[in-house]
Amino acid sequence: MTSLLLVEDDAVIRASVSLALERYGFRTATAADGLSGLEAAQAGGHDLLLLDVMLPGLDGISLCRRIRETSQVPILMMSARGDGLDVVAGLEGGADDYVVKPVDLSVLVARIRSLLRRAAFARPVPAEPTAGQAVAFAVLDFGELSIDTGALEVRRAGQRVELTPTELRLLLEFAAHPGIVLERATLLRTVWDYGWDGDSRVVDLCVQRLRKKIGADRIETVRGFGYKLRTS
Amino acid sequence: MTVGSLRWKVAALITLACCAVAAVVGVLVHRTTLERTMRQGEERALVWAAMVAKEYRAGTPPEEPAPWTESIKRPDELPSPLRERLAVESPATWYDDRKPDQPWMWAAQWVNGGLVATSRMEVGSDMIRLRALDRAMVRAALTALAVVVPISVCLAEPANRRLRRVARTARRIANGDLDARVAPAPPRRGGSLARRGGRDEIADISAAVDSMAASLQHRLLAEQRFTADVAHDLRTPLMGLVAVVELLEEGETTDLVRGQVRVLRSLVEDLLEVSRLDAGAEVAERVRVPLAELAEESAARVGVEVRVLASGNPVAETDPRRLDRILANLVLNAHRHGAPPVEITVRDHVIEVRDRGSGFPPELLADGPKRFRTGAAERGRGHGLGLTIALGQAHVIGADLTLANAPDGAVAVLRLPRQPSG
Repeated sequence: MTSLLLVEDDAVIRASVSLALERYGFRTATAADGLSGLEAAQAGGHDLLLLDVMLPGLDGISLCRRIRETSQVPILMMSARGDGLDVVAGLEGGADDYVVKPVDLSVLVARIRSLLRRAAFARPVPAEPTAGQAVAFAVLDFGELSIDTGALEVRRAGQRVELTPTELRLLLEFAAHPGIVLERATLLRTVWDYGWDGDSRVVDLCVQRLRKKIGADRIETVRGFGYKLRTS
Repeated sequence: MTVGSLRWKVAALITLACCAVAAVVGVLVHRTTLERTMRQGEERALVWAAMVAKEYRAGTPPEEPAPWTESIKRPDELPSPLRERLAVESPATWYDDRKPDQPWMWAAQWVNGGLVATSRMEVGSDMIRLRALDRAMVRAALTALAVVVPISVCLAEPANRRLRRVARTARRIANGDLDARVAPAPPRRGGSLARRGGRDEIADISAAVDSMAASLQHRLLAEQRFTADVAHDLRTPLMGLVAVVELLEEGETTDLVRGQVRVLRSLVEDLLEVSRLDAGAEVAERVRVPLAELAEESAARVGVEVRVLASGNPVAETDPRRLDRILANLVLNAHRHGAPPVEITVRDHVIEVRDRGSGFPPELLADGPKRFRTGAAERGRGHGLGLTIALGQAHVIGADLTLANAPDGAVAVLRLPRQPSG
């Protein structure tokens, strides 16, 4: 059973969302403030974290940063402001996606499932792949960056790079189209499962985080169009 | 730099003033010099005429040729103007300019026997000197103008530049850049640029524009903060409500509650969206968008049955999320207040949403959408925010949204800009 951690200070939301999520088949642990949320997150065992932005003690954005120092667990932020600053700060802090309150449970569940799919995708395939998969997986080299699409390991100049499932999924999308410009809308669709209503800042900020990890010049911005992976 | 600009007005004014001064001085000098020249000519002619008269009286017979013999004339030999003057006074003078390039000064006085002693002085060289003086004065005036006007335009330039800066700043503020200020923000060594330029009117207007921008910014920030706080305080309990409603047992009551929660939610979201649009803090993020695909998606998300007709595969560079909001609101409006079928026609940079209802109410077409008023009862109920949002978002993406009535229903036409600005 998938286990979620919901960090939310509003008692009604905490209780009702966790109950509702359980109906959708998620086991949900809760924390009422930032510090106990950090403790629970560091204890581990959660497949996905659902963080409110405004939290007493440690706010959701700082909490997200602290968690990212040690863990690549999928993080979904919930903002009640939706005025951009919250959202950008949360995504910069390492969140994979965000929703604006009040969010329909069906939408929230869709976002959670999309994020969990990425996480499942990011888990390496069993040690003994079938014959068909063995052909498909390879180690791709782009300059000092090497991506093992089977073991799902990314190395930069021989050093292992830790990526969140979303970052990994995004990088693989680039690696599948080396040197080709990918539009933000396309990436929103393929990586985040968004339609035209998706927020392209999600892509921009994830690319920023990815650049910090794999080298700033590896992914080039093509002004007005999108991004592309530099192959050499 | 336009012809009507202050710089050219200053130049024209200074030129006019210089010309006026030069003309007055020139005319005065000309007249004084002319008078003096004439007087000198008269005196010379009179002296000579007196000498002729004296010599004549001394008894030298007129028959005998002498240097002055021909200066003794009968009155009828005299030019008529001189003769007339001589009839009034003696001695008399006359300036003879019958030949302009060779003027003479005549003097005449009676000697005995009805004869007249005359003298005729050549004053042409004096007149040439006068004309040379005139020319010199005109030249001097023109030289002075050529020097003074550019210098004064240059001296007026700092003031012009300051005024242009004020205008530029005001325009930037109008375009939403509330950080724009005329004076540099940190006053260096206690004196701002405006103060260095003295407490003149330009410094006053600069200070006024700056304080206007500051108070505008202050109010806008306060309003934005208020909106964000209200948003938070409204959304948090609403989120609780939305989540709790999910937990209710299925039933008639639950459906009613769910419906009301949905209405309340969309009302709160619309209000927050309108206040964000009012705050003018919205910025479009443009990408290439296939319009037909987006229209299909928007309609599907709203949950209204819509027929999308597209000619070709039109693509526009615009903000897809805002375009989605516009179309969703137009479609929802057509669904709520019009009648099916709702149709979206997509052409090159133009999207049309039409329904087969009774059309937009005339007040709406005349005055634009009013918040919390849907006008005619036959258009059904609604809070009237949808069209306000559609118009506001259209403004943000630089599109032109026109509402009109066709014979068979309401038509909303959205024209996207071909070359997005900003």
